[in-house]
Order: sequence, then C-alpha cells, then structure tokens
Amino acid sequence: MSRIVRTAADLLYPVILIFGLYIVAHGHLTPGGGFQGGAVIATGGALVIVAYSYKEISGWLKKNVLLGREVIGLVGFIGVGLLALAFGQVFFFNYLAGSGSLFGMPVPYGINAGELNTAGVIPLMNFAVGIEVWGGLTIVILYMLSGLEKEGC
Amino acid sequence: MIEQIPHILVLLGLIVSAILTFHFKDLLAATLAAGLFGFLISLEFYILQAPDVAISQAAIGAGLTTAIFIIAIRATGRFEGESS
Amino acid sequence: MKKMFVVVASLLILAAFFGVMAMTLTFGSPMVTDMDDYFLRHGQEQTGSNNQCTAVVFDFRAFDTLGESTVLFCGIMGAALMFRKMQGGEEYEDE
Repeated sequence: MSRIVRTAADLLYPVILIFGLYIVAHGHLTPGGGFQGGAVIATGGALVIVAYSYKEISGWLKKNVLLGREVIGLVGFIGVGLLALAFGQVFFFNYLAGSGSLFGMPVPYGINAGELNTAGVIPLMNFAVGIEVWGGLTIVILYMLSGLEKEGC
Repeated sequence: MIEQIPHILVLLGLIVSAILTFHFKDLLAATLAAGLFGFLISLEFYILQAPDVAISQAAIGAGLTTAIFIIAIRATGRFEGESS
Repeated sequence: MKKMFVVVASLLILAAFFGVMAMTLTFGSPMVTDMDDYFLRHGQEQTGSNNQCTAVVFDFRAFDTLGESTVLFCGIMGAALMFRKMQGGEEYEDE
C-alpha cells in the first residue's frame, strides 16, 4: 500500500500491542480478558499484514512461531487446570487464590480499587488464552496472504 | 425519554450503514461500510453496559473482518461484476 | 398456484398463533435468581477476582472456556492444513 499507510502501521503497531497486553494482564480487574486482548493484538498484526506485501512480512512474522504460540497457549491452559490434581483438588480448581504465593494475595470484600497480585489461577489462564488467540487469529490472515501471493497478484 | 436518544441515533446509524453496504457497487467502499456497521454495533453494546462484548466486537467485527475482506478484494476485482 | 397459496396461508396462521402466544407471556417472569445471587455474593471471596465476569468465565464455568479454546484451535488447524497443501509442491487444481 502507500507510504502513508505503512508509516501509520509502523507507528500504531507498538501502541496496539501494549494496549492488548494491558487488557490481558488486567483481565481480573477491568473489563476484558484473554480472548478480548488477544483479538486486539491480532487486529494490530492484521494492520501490519494488510499494509505490507508478503515478501516483506515473512521475515519477521514466522508461521511456525505463530503456530507454536497457539499450541503453547492451549497446552498451558490445560496444564494450569491439570495442576490442580497435584494439589489434591478437582480439575480447574482455583488452588492459588488466597494462598499468599504467586497471584495469591487475599482480596478485601466489598468495593475496592483492586490489586494486580490477586485472583489465583485466573491471570495465568488469561495469559494462556491471550497467547493462543494472538497466534491463531494472526495466522489465518497470514495464510490468506500467502495464498494470494501464490496466485501472483 | 431523554436517555433513549443515543439508542435511537445508534440504531438509525446501523440501518443506514447496512443499506449503504447493500447499495455500493465499489466493493472497497462496501467493506468500509460493513466495518462502520461493526463499530456502531460495538458502540450499542457499550451503551447497554456490556464492555467485554464491546471490546471483542470492535476487535473482530470492525478490525479482522475488514482486513480479511480487503485481502480478498486485493486478490480479485475491485468493482462488482469485474474479474481481474 | 393453489398449493403455494395453501403453504403461505398455513405459514401465516402458524406465525400469528406463535405471535399471539408470545404476546401473552411477560418477559422474565418467573424470576429465578438463586445462581446469580450466589455468584455475586460469594464470587469475590472465593476466587479473589474483582471482575465477576472474568471470575464466572475462567473459574466457575472454566469448562466452557476450555471448549471455546478447543473449537478455535480446531478451526485454525483446519485452515492451516488446507492452505499448507495448496502452498507446498503440487499445483492448485483449477478444473
């Protein structure tokens, strides 16, 4: 596309990335969560993919890295759920809430501003689903663009 | 009655953008009208106090769908009835 | 033509019947809010999350999120499989 679109994509991509990571990391305090944050990051990736051609993009958006990111997200999500069995609880039990370790600060009851270090396994699951959606929704557009380059236009 | 006015404006915008999507012969303009439809429906979700759904609708309906349609238009013709 | 008329008339009568039946019901009554009250009252101290929407999606209803992730994974794997075959080696057959 034109130089204006490419410059705007270069400027906007880090901002969209930071905003999406903010939505993923604060999923247990503010509206949003893993799926929404991953979709926002994938929108930034789609902006860059639309602005450039396939030969320029294939150097720094590798397909294997994106596929591996999707696989790692799903395996991490199931692994966090399965780790509850090691603590003697049922599948998907929130074993970290209020335990005092990672993400385990006890939360006061009622209306409060919130603390990032709370909510047990919910932030871990948010990160896993966010990574999965990031890889998955980006690679669909990348595959479409590669099929377009095959046709030669 | 006064709090119904944003709903009515957003719903009128939805109807207008849907009719524009149907009416355009230039497919790029029709795609942008569809993106406007997705943005307005995410605004309606936000007015109805569902910010989670509004974020995902704005990211997928207004962003990713428009990008996919633009890539498809790049591979085929821009105007209706034309094949590149 | 006569068959068409019978079909349209029966569809109209059916639609009018369901419309009248829907008019007589009031929306949202009987109101059953036991589960909602439980989530809103105990959700914060049980999960430690201030956002109750995320608490329901990722803790109380985590199996739903597992299914959603699996559906997304399977869809993207299908797309990747199709485009990978088209990309490597053999030509894409176009009749």
